[in-house]
Amino acid sequence: MSLIATGTTYLVEVRLRPEFTDAAGLAALAQLQHAGFAGVRAVRISTLYEICGPLNQSHVQQASKELLNDGVTQEFKVLSGPPVLDGMNHWRVEVWLKNTMTDPVGESVRRAIAELGLPEPERVRCGSAYRILGRTTKNILERIVLRTLANPVVHSFTVTEAYD
Amino acid sequence: MTECRAAPSDGGALRFTVLPPKELKELGDKLGWSLNSAELEAIRSYFKKVGREPTRGEVETIAQTWSEHCKHKTFNGPIRYSDGKKTQLIRSLFAETIVKATQGLSKPWCLSVFKDNAGIVSFGKGGRWALAVKVETHNHPCAVEPYGGAETGIGGVIRDVLGAGLGAKPVLNTDTFCLARPDYAGALPEGALHPVRTLRGVVAGVRDYGNRMGIPTAGGGLWFDDDYRLNPLVFCGTVGVLPTWAVRKEVKPGDLIVAVGGPTGRDGLHGATFSSATLEGESDRTAVQIGHPLNEKRVLDAMMIARDRKLYRAVTDCGAGGFSSAIGELAKDCGARVELSGAPVKCSDLEPWEIWLSEAQERMVLAVPRKSYAELEKLFHAEGTGCSILGEFTDSGRLVVTLKGAPVADLDMGFLHDGMPKVERRAVWTNGSKPKPRPCGRKSGAADRGRLGSILIRMLGHLNVCSREWVIRQYDYEVQAGTVIKPLQGLRHDGPGDACVIWPAAATGEWEDLSGFSVGHGLNPSYGRLDPYWMAMCCADEALRNLLCVGADISKAVFLDNFCWASPEVPEQLGGLVRAALGCHDAAKGYSVPFISGKDSLYNQSRDEKGRDLAIPGTVLITAMAPVQDITRSVTMDFKGPGNSLFLVGVTKDETGGSLLSQMESCGGEVPKPDPKAAIKAFKAVAGAISKKLVLSAHDLSEGGLGVAVAEMAFSGESGATIELDQVLTSPAMLPDETTLFSESPSRVLLEVSPKDDVALMRALKGVPARRIGSTTANPLIKVSGFDGSIVLETLLVDLKTAWQKTLPELLK
Repeated sequence: MSLIATGTTYLVEVRLRPEFTDAAGLAALAQLQHAGFAGVRAVRISTLYEICGPLNQSHVQQASKELLNDGVTQEFKVLSGPPVLDGMNHWRVEVWLKNTMTDPVGESVRRAIAELGLPEPERVRCGSAYRILGRTTKNILERIVLRTLANPVVHSFTVTEAYD
Repeated sequence: MTECRAAPSDGGALRFTVLPPKELKELGDKLGWSLNSAELEAIRSYFKKVGREPTRGEVETIAQTWSEHCKHKTFNGPIRYSDGKKTQLIRSLFAETIVKATQGLSKPWCLSVFKDNAGIVSFGKGGRWALAVKVETHNHPCAVEPYGGAETGIGGVIRDVLGAGLGAKPVLNTDTFCLARPDYAGALPEGALHPVRTLRGVVAGVRDYGNRMGIPTAGGGLWFDDDYRLNPLVFCGTVGVLPTWAVRKEVKPGDLIVAVGGPTGRDGLHGATFSSATLEGESDRTAVQIGHPLNEKRVLDAMMIARDRKLYRAVTDCGAGGFSSAIGELAKDCGARVELSGAPVKCSDLEPWEIWLSEAQERMVLAVPRKSYAELEKLFHAEGTGCSILGEFTDSGRLVVTLKGAPVADLDMGFLHDGMPKVERRAVWTNGSKPKPRPCGRKSGAADRGRLGSILIRMLGHLNVCSREWVIRQYDYEVQAGTVIKPLQGLRHDGPGDACVIWPAAATGEWEDLSGFSVGHGLNPSYGRLDPYWMAMCCADEALRNLLCVGADISKAVFLDNFCWASPEVPEQLGGLVRAALGCHDAAKGYSVPFISGKDSLYNQSRDEKGRDLAIPGTVLITAMAPVQDITRSVTMDFKGPGNSLFLVGVTKDETGGSLLSQMESCGGEVPKPDPKAAIKAFKAVAGAISKKLVLSAHDLSEGGLGVAVAEMAFSGESGATIELDQVLTSPAMLPDETTLFSESPSRVLLEVSPKDDVALMRALKGVPARRIGSTTANPLIKVSGFDGSIVLETLLVDLKTAWQKTLPELLK
């Protein structure tokens, strides 16, 4: 009996280790401040990969470790549910290309996973997660994200509040 | 394979010939054809004659082929142009200005002009190589999604060069952006992106595509004007190298039509018709895509091998209109039979006409002899990219498209390419209707000694002058290891270069041949606000001077034009466009430099937040390219040391109209007017001096005139300078110090020369207006004495450089 279920979806998050300066995060921080989000204090960015196909957990672990993650500067985890951040005023913004858009990075990852000798995924999408520290409300943050991090023409995004 | 989204229902035959004209127009607008009533009528009468209803695929094919984007209706159509009292009929603006000048010059080194996807000129010693060059705009998509728009813009122009001749290997990318100020604080209509976002997006798009494809991005420019806030302009250029034998392409009936590259999806439908319409709040959003540079790189690598093995006879890229325009173009003189079931698709629910017209990126179409196909397919598959047969070229003179045998389109090539009704447009040029501001050139006395210094510091910090390091550092301008003169120059590699010099030996393998080439740009919409004719002349002059200052051989230079204008249906707008085209014609003839390629983008206007039409300022980008005979003799712009003489070539006139000074001091004056005959004589003399190694550094005088040029050379080389304004050749003989220092008279260059070579230089510049106006100093400051001998400006280099460097980082931090 095979344990592999066709069409299982995994979400992998790859981010810089906390001891490294996140230059892209700092740029996003400046953009958010520029757009009027005065209370924002820090932003760190991670890359998300949604992998869908006949892979099991260990395949995904292997692909993440060998392909998606740079072991020196980065760390990764395969997410099982909605991530929980600790502390107050933590926000998580996920930005994805819409499903109707071609996702070149996802497409390259899909082929690269097959080239590792693993089962070829049916679909891989790539997105970004912004972990934002700062006092605001969800409505305001959504409006600011529309002006800075996401373009509704090509992106879909979610804003979630993290709590203990 | 996945379902993309619900398919549109009306894919079959249309009730085209029976619908009343009004309803037909409404249907056309709904389906996004951008066809006018006369064109719809022409299509209707064609199908009445044929005796059947058109299919959706046929009307879509015609709409694409006849779009402003593909057919350049305005540039190729008749225009009734009135200029004051005179009225004349211009049968084709393109043929009577740009093409006429090129034909008149008939330069033997131009191998292919206006015919192919890019202009092609010969290159290097021995006649074995040629350069293909193309610059085009990608404005409308960048207004909606800057990142994806700029990516597909640069990707598209790379494919143009890849589709020129039998394919050229790209060795240089350039980018020029016209945007609103990043600190624009006014209102914007719903859906419009803030300029700072557009700037970040377009820079990131060009960066990601160019860097990932391994092509250096080493030339270009930025121009800020708030009237670009709704319609930013994005110009992308590419230069490629190809062997001379690969310049010619031909299609033979019986050749296979082969599509290579990525699969086809619903991406970018209606891109061509979209770019032919003015932008409104709800723009056609499927026209925007995200580029896939790695796919294009695979196509490039496979194509270069296939070209050298002579596996195909012709190639063109899939740009606007997708397969329909690529195959339509290749089959123009013969005919084609296309079976779309061979095309690899991204999703299963595509309508036949959608496959035919999709503008999915990274695809090329080849004409392949049957016997070569197996080898070609193996090669492309080995590179990991698609390769499939779409049909064959025929000698029927018809374009027949089917999907699994069912008809999609069956059109006469003659009607498709020449059946478009020509609309006569009206153009009016009126000069002098605008109120004249107070003239520039205040007398400066000892009392306001600090004033010129503070103007100079503000000029250096002005958005249209300040350091572009923030942009340039994001680009990989070193990849391929041929960037001899880099975009940033000077002691600390942060000064503003005039033009880049590229040595494409890695692409040609000719390591003994030190031939390179240089690409420069000229753009100044401020002059265009006063008179587009002189704007075009000045842009040509500046582009050439940029090349001259790095040591290029401008006697073998070529121009590329890019016109961006508002709606040509407004006679006053079209009048300006005609003036600019006439300027291009006279510049080409005057400087004896032919145009070899170009593009126009019209309808760059949108409704602003109050519902009024906001038109962009009429803009011409002139790109110049010239060979550098010996790259070891090229020159940079930074001062090389203290104690050297400074020579100013050219005459300084009272020309402050549209100048930086006029914008900062709210004054005005005459728009700069180049005299090509005198200019070219001076340029040749300067080129001679540079080739004799007499010149240590050279810089052209553009925005901000002499003052800005001296400052840039000084802080880049970290040597000071003393300048005596009474030594500057002026006309009339007496000009206020402010005017002499900041006038933007064209055709001037500043040269640094070792004092031992003063006499030799003056001998080389015999018969040319040139004077020694000062010298470089060890003291790190710029000191300028006025006509009366008193010091009118004395400023520390560090203050000048700080002002010049801080503007963009402060706005974008």
